Amino acid sequence: MDLIANLGHGFSVALTWNNLLFCLIGCIIGTAIGVLPGIGPVATISLLLPITFGQPATTAIIMLAGIYYGAQYGGSTTSILLNLPGEVSSVVTTLEGYKMARKGRAGAALAIAAIGSFFAGSVSTVLVAASGPLLTQVALSFGPADYFSLMFLGLIISAVLAQGSVIKSIGMVIFGVALGMVGTDVQTGQQRFTFGIPELSDGVGFVSIAMGMFGIAEIIMNLERPESRNVMSGKVGSLMMTRDEFKRSMPAVLRGTAVGSILGILPGGGAALASFASYMMERKVSKGRHEFGTGAIEGVAGPESANNAAAQTSFIPLLTLGIPANAVMALMVGALIIQGIQPGPRMVEAQPDLFWGLIASMWVGNLMLLIINLPMVGLWVKLLSVPYRHMYPSIMIFCAIGVYSLQNNVFDVYQTVFFGIFGYMCSKLRLEAAPMLVGFVLGPMMEENLRRAMLLSRGDWFVFLERPISATLLAIAAIALAAMLLPNIRKGKDAALAEGG
Amino acid sequence: MKPNTKDLISAGLLLSFALVGLLINGGLFGLGWEQHTLGSARRMGPGYMPMLAFWILMGLGVAVLVSGLFNGPDPLEKWTKNEIVYLIAGAIGGTATGIAASYMPGWIGAGWNPLGIGLFVGCLIPSIIESWRPLFLVSAAFTLFGLVLESLGFMLAIALSVVLSAFADKTHRPLGVVGLVAFLCALCWFVFIWYLDIRVPVWPELGR
Repeated sequence: MDLIANLGHGFSVALTWNNLLFCLIGCIIGTAIGVLPGIGPVATISLLLPITFGQPATTAIIMLAGIYYGAQYGGSTTSILLNLPGEVSSVVTTLEGYKMARKGRAGAALAIAAIGSFFAGSVSTVLVAASGPLLTQVALSFGPADYFSLMFLGLIISAVLAQGSVIKSIGMVIFGVALGMVGTDVQTGQQRFTFGIPELSDGVGFVSIAMGMFGIAEIIMNLERPESRNVMSGKVGSLMMTRDEFKRSMPAVLRGTAVGSILGILPGGGAALASFASYMMERKVSKGRHEFGTGAIEGVAGPESANNAAAQTSFIPLLTLGIPANAVMALMVGALIIQGIQPGPRMVEAQPDLFWGLIASMWVGNLMLLIINLPMVGLWVKLLSVPYRHMYPSIMIFCAIGVYSLQNNVFDVYQTVFFGIFGYMCSKLRLEAAPMLVGFVLGPMMEENLRRAMLLSRGDWFVFLERPISATLLAIAAIALAAMLLPNIRKGKDAALAEGG
Repeated sequence: MKPNTKDLISAGLLLSFALVGLLINGGLFGLGWEQHTLGSARRMGPGYMPMLAFWILMGLGVAVLVSGLFNGPDPLEKWTKNEIVYLIAGAIGGTATGIAASYMPGWIGAGWNPLGIGLFVGCLIPSIIESWRPLFLVSAAFTLFGLVLESLGFMLAIALSVVLSAFADKTHRPLGVVGLVAFLCALCWFVFIWYLDIRVPVWPELGR
């Protein structure tokens, strides 16, 4: 079997000392930021991007991925114990998890969250491994027109699924695309929108945008609304579940894994959406649905499995098609490009170490997280006693040094300040930063494919509708867009996202 | 129904980006500077894709504008008079200082220092008002780091920047800030200098 041989190769990569070490570091950092509210995976990954450049690409991606799925584990801890979601994807866990903690079943809730996550992580790892080469085969038959349409679909869906107004999100996507045009034109060498600034001829710094709009802007928003944090008072209790609890949560874990895996693959999907969808599903179909609101274990097991599954399957579009599904994946694309690897369907063949190593490391990382999280829960909760006034200068300094170290140029530091202020303004105006980042990453790739497609079709725009793959993708985009403009569905989405954070 | 202020301002923002972009890029019926070759659909020039993007942005800006007129009130927090005055003062003061600095000889006018100085002053002026402090003091501290890093070195840049940013949060105590500075200096030295070995002066370099 090819798959097994490939996975074996993956494990041989993932189990080297260096990769194990960085996987562990990623998981620990991920858990930490998952526990801490006020700093999310997007900010952390952009913060740590510069640190990973000294490492080989595989090691860097293994660590960054560890942060993303590690945050899903960590986020559940504070949701359950303190009713304080560390991440957006854990908001729904507070609904049942905190109730369980109040009933003295915190230990059981934590245990099922960790076990469910581990199970979901293992299943979705296999899914990524199996679907990767398959999708790559499909992707290799794509022409430039199909590629353009695929990216277009990705942009539309990432805007449609973003919080708030769809039109504004698409506006931000296009703004991101426009921002991606800054720099030297690849085909003619002409300078675009550089205003004679040599630093801009390579384009606007990707890390500057991410750090400014997510890191700095987030700090400022958090400082504006000071939150009081109650340090843990309740007891964790026994981590053992009763036989009944275990029996009830198993189907929920299975359903959560399925829902999460599917929603993760969708472009624009991700952990937050998955956990919410799973919660809604459990409330409707699970055996304990009459207990919802009073601490039903299904309400913890389902969403926690779902968010972890989604965190992992959202790597599928990135690894096989080179298309980022959400802001975190956009950061991964940035990391790969800076490492000199162009994400795309050829990556599986050209970079087997990276592809299979990452997949194997996901499984290893999940195992590590199980060990890091369950027995050491008390330790992580203590992290919350670190006040925000000590956190924000640290985040700021790490951002500043990191962005400077990219090119040893202070221009990048000032650029980040501009994006920080711009990001603050955007969040005040409810313009979403995440779609912009996806647009920024996809913009240049879209332009290249558009130009190629039009050259091949001799300037005929109908090529996008004549090719079956392209036409199908555009049709899906149109349906998604039209659906969101219908008042009923939009209301449903708004309600869903409002409750889900 | 009252218009949605946030949407209207967002629309203004998107529209002005689109307009300025088109003026610089070309594609607005021959108006503007037309910096980039547009080319044809068959052979797209460097200006073609930006033109498409800005026109779509323009359309979306109009759509946001129209929907903002009808989808209910969503007002921004009102700014006080002081906040507005100091914001404008900061913008003018910062720009003026930056331009003035670029004509100065020596360190002040060298490289990107005028930009940094202008940005720093521009952020510092509005941070006199307490409600602007989170935004502008953090920005100022970030700028300060870039400004002094290469001349005063890594350690002093961290210390100055952290101390300045500490004023953005009232709950800070002097001793806590000193401890934080010491901790961050040690941590950053370990990560960036010892481990990553980035090329930056660690201590002030005399004679520069």
